[in-house]
Amino acid sequence: MKKKKTNAKITKAKMTKAKKIKKKTKKLQYPKIITFACNWCSYAGADLAGVSRFQYPPSLRLIRVMCAGRITPTFILDALTDGADGVIVSGCHFEDCHYISGSRKAEKVVETTRKLMHLLGMDGRRLRFELISAAEGQKFATVAREFTEEITNLKKEKHGKK
Amino acid sequence: MNELRIGVFVCKCGSNIAGFIDVPAVAEYAKGLPGVVFARHNLYSCSESGTQTIKDSIREHNLNRVVVAACTPRTHEPVFRAACEDEGLNQFLFEFVNIREHCSWVHMQERELATQKAKELVRMGVARVALLEPGEMTEVEVIPSALVIGGGISGITAATALGSMGLKVILAEREKELGGMLNDLYKLYPTGEDAREFLDKRIKTLKKFKNVEILTSSEIKDIEGYIGNYNVIIKEGKKEKDYKVGTIILATGALTYKPKKVSKGKSLFNYDGKNVITQIQLENRLIKGLKEKKVVMIQCAGSRVPERIYCSRICCMTAIKNGMLLKKANKDAEVTILYRDLQTYGTDYEDELREAKKAGVKFIRYSKEKPPSVDKKKKFVSVHHELLGRNIEIPFDLVVLSTPLIAHSDVKKLSQKLKVPVDEHGFFLEAHVKLRPLEFATDGVFICGCAHWPADITESISQALGATSKAAIPLLNLKVTVEPIISYVDEEKCTGCGICEENCPYAAITKDPETKKAKVTEVICKGCGICASNCPEQAIDIKHYKDEQFSAQLKAAFEEVKT
Amino acid sequence: MAKNSIDEIIKKTNSYLCIDCGECTGSCPVSRVNVNYSPRLNVEKMVLGYFDEIKKDENIWSCLVCGLCSKRCPSDVKYDEFIKLSRKEIRKHNEKLNYSHNRIIQKSMEIMTQGNTQKRTEWIGKELKVSKKGKFLYFTGCLPYFEVIFEYLNIHPLETAGNAVKILNKLGIEPVVNNSEVCCGRDLLFNGDEENFLKLAKINTKMLKESGAEKVVFTCPECLETLKEIYPEYLGKTDVEFIHITQLVEEAVKKGKLELDSSSIKKFTYQDPCILGRGLGLYDEPRNIIKSIPETELLPIERERENSICCGPSAWVSCTNYTKRIQHVRLGQAEKTGAEVLITACPKCYIHFSCALSGDDEDYKIKLMDITTLIAETMKSKKKHTDSHRLEG
Repeated sequence: MKKKKTNAKITKAKMTKAKKIKKKTKKLQYPKIITFACNWCSYAGADLAGVSRFQYPPSLRLIRVMCAGRITPTFILDALTDGADGVIVSGCHFEDCHYISGSRKAEKVVETTRKLMHLLGMDGRRLRFELISAAEGQKFATVAREFTEEITNLKKEKHGKK
Repeated sequence: MNELRIGVFVCKCGSNIAGFIDVPAVAEYAKGLPGVVFARHNLYSCSESGTQTIKDSIREHNLNRVVVAACTPRTHEPVFRAACEDEGLNQFLFEFVNIREHCSWVHMQERELATQKAKELVRMGVARVALLEPGEMTEVEVIPSALVIGGGISGITAATALGSMGLKVILAEREKELGGMLNDLYKLYPTGEDAREFLDKRIKTLKKFKNVEILTSSEIKDIEGYIGNYNVIIKEGKKEKDYKVGTIILATGALTYKPKKVSKGKSLFNYDGKNVITQIQLENRLIKGLKEKKVVMIQCAGSRVPERIYCSRICCMTAIKNGMLLKKANKDAEVTILYRDLQTYGTDYEDELREAKKAGVKFIRYSKEKPPSVDKKKKFVSVHHELLGRNIEIPFDLVVLSTPLIAHSDVKKLSQKLKVPVDEHGFFLEAHVKLRPLEFATDGVFICGCAHWPADITESISQALGATSKAAIPLLNLKVTVEPIISYVDEEKCTGCGICEENCPYAAITKDPETKKAKVTEVICKGCGICASNCPEQAIDIKHYKDEQFSAQLKAAFEEVKT
Repeated sequence: MAKNSIDEIIKKTNSYLCIDCGECTGSCPVSRVNVNYSPRLNVEKMVLGYFDEIKKDENIWSCLVCGLCSKRCPSDVKYDEFIKLSRKEIRKHNEKLNYSHNRIIQKSMEIMTQGNTQKRTEWIGKELKVSKKGKFLYFTGCLPYFEVIFEYLNIHPLETAGNAVKILNKLGIEPVVNNSEVCCGRDLLFNGDEENFLKLAKINTKMLKESGAEKVVFTCPECLETLKEIYPEYLGKTDVEFIHITQLVEEAVKKGKLELDSSSIKKFTYQDPCILGRGLGLYDEPRNIIKSIPETELLPIERERENSICCGPSAWVSCTNYTKRIQHVRLGQAEKTGAEVLITACPKCYIHFSCALSGDDEDYKIKLMDITTLIAETMKSKKKHTDSHRLEG
């Protein structure tokens, strides 16, 4: 813990030094990812990531839903067209889903959405489906880190193409 | 509609949030958001003084919506909801924004960006709270009686326990007599007790309770309703009777797998019900006394195979116990147990295994790939011995197959009536193995004993007692409360297509046979929203999680909403 | 309220000519099941300047734009146009809008306006011959999207597309099927979203120009009418010829270029899609095709041709219990004919009737089939000298 604090201090000092330059570039650095997380598992998984102080980039914006099965393809496409670089739909593991079949329904919705994205010429990699339990804080943080990186690369790829 | 008067409270949580986020800046930012008339930061929002501040502000600034940006709703939502209610502000007009677990603690080295994120999260929360609607908790009265389905040891135990609480109990058994599988057993492990005596004692105790109504030769014709209010039609003999109960315990038990007798061709290990029998048939013969001396038992006969991949759990101990009984009855008896793996968990059972070995019961391991074969003409069982690397032949008078417990064939009927799930093998599936054992996701229905998974008598009894105490809680409280996060149907739009009914995990939404419209039984609905997301007509929405509330929250993630 | 725009609606739609006769409401299939819905009253309200009432009434979304009232109106009030413009006006006022299917169809259309490169032609298998450029274009419409969105009904709208190309190939045509085709936008237009409609119209017009198409064949009557009649209103006329697949097939059958073989199904009846019939006047073409199949009977259905009843919902906004009742009325009439199969010539009829048939309210014996499926399944395979039968184009 202490180590982290000193780290934080160093970073902070560094930041003030190069604040003006860094501010702009840093903002660009992180994509925006909307995360729909179910109340019972994935939201709690995100909580545990916090309690465990697993660090991940500040790219996620979490929206709590009772069940991932509440999500419709339109929610996802809305997020992607409103400005999200990526979307995560995260629910309970199938066998422990609080709503029995909710996670499976969500998987189906994500599948349908992917098919539509494909037809519409959108990059399906911008949408990710995850099963994260309340005990998987580590997984939540890992997913956040990996997906942020993936999306960042996708954006670079896209810019590169242009 | 009244003018929006949103109050935003940003929590420092000591240094937990303030250490990594510029909390005053977030509060300052919140002041400029649409509808926000008041914003401030607190050191500890959840403390006595913190909640008092919120309460005072609601009063002073006449707030009609409250946002707290602090930790997680999973722990602290009730605290702030209560504070709102204290000031006469409906608790569902409160929105929690998580800037600790989801922000400060996970972006400890990114103060500036974490602050920015916190601002955006607050913005999203404010956009959502503006569209929230008040809701009321619903209380439902509970009929203080229970139905126990199945009169085996689990059902008897549950009914007795509920009876002893003074509750009205209906115990419905499909056979002529109570007792279930115990009727066919000889002696019980690990105590060696006589099954008949044990059962008789239990039934005697049960029958003492006048508040327990026992129905035999009965059949559940229909079950309708929800926690607290079930209508059950039970046919006993030829007459049908209606019962009203508050909770239901499923204790329907299981069957033992009996290999199919095939006249020509092959049956499992040449099973014939005469010289090659099952463990339960052996128990029956043991009651009468057994003549055969050379007995070979084959474990995992029909279990842990592709058709039935599960371990039946009780067969190892049953074989060991019966082997010992044979040895005790006749010192010259030769008992060989062919097994794939032995599971004798716990101290008692492991002791039994040691005892059996000591008494001379032989244990030979076989592999799934090279199972034993039973030669009825030559009267020996041939098995590949892994260590010897060759087949050995064990002569027998009797072969006993340890076949697994399997679900009743008509289990689907009951599961559909109760709207509770069964797994691929027909065993009932509890809500959550660790978090909600013995419960179903459907409130008010509980499970115990072999209907749930192969269990021995000890386990069945503890499960029955567990299910009983869970089932008794609403019966003794006489009421259940339900959050108003539920789905509702726009009847005008509903076409009665039935898609919601197909999709609902709880049968909370059903098609009314008369109006042909979807109808929500509010007590059963848990607000998952699967119905809403699958409704082609968009006739369904979820209170507190409405489409427009999501849309607003989503939009606010990207842009400042115009005032 | 912008009085000007209301005046404009009244003028453009001839509302002021309304003689209050009630023919429209009397004809309206929605009014029959929903007493709160009255086209006459809506027109009256508009003329009296009570747009606020229309705006707040959800029933404005109930109209099926089936054209029956406009067809029958003795005073030439254009109620379809009235609905289109009213909804556009409502949208301007940020009123709560109506949608079905969780708005996913509209959302997909909106995304199509952004000019992404779609992947909408992956259904074309090796057995189908299509060209990159050419004079002949097959306009798929939303079929690839319907395939995904209506999976839950266990139907395959893309079969229509496959069969259409199969039929065209049979006639010696290797049509252009274009990835840059977008939704025709008609539904958005009738949702009041003229802005996005125009974007789509422009993309399609550009696509047609670039493809070099001189003749465009459609399986969806709504796309056809939109490109043929509505686009020119906004974007001016083009020389491109727009036809429905039934027109093409009927002509080929007449000229002996295509022969249909007998089918195991003997008794058919036919649903006139609103737009194909009342909209485009194509009543006989599909009928002639069915009649040309040997040993079959085309049984007349109660209310056909210009009096035909709509399949129910329209523009993905008004799926309600009323539309469901309309569907059951129609399916009941189809059942009564004694036909084994109800033929439709519009993908939307197919989807909506499939939905009604999938419910458990009524037991229907009658089956549903798209006309392209019927043609593709009965096309004679022996005549293989397609080259000499190549149609112009």
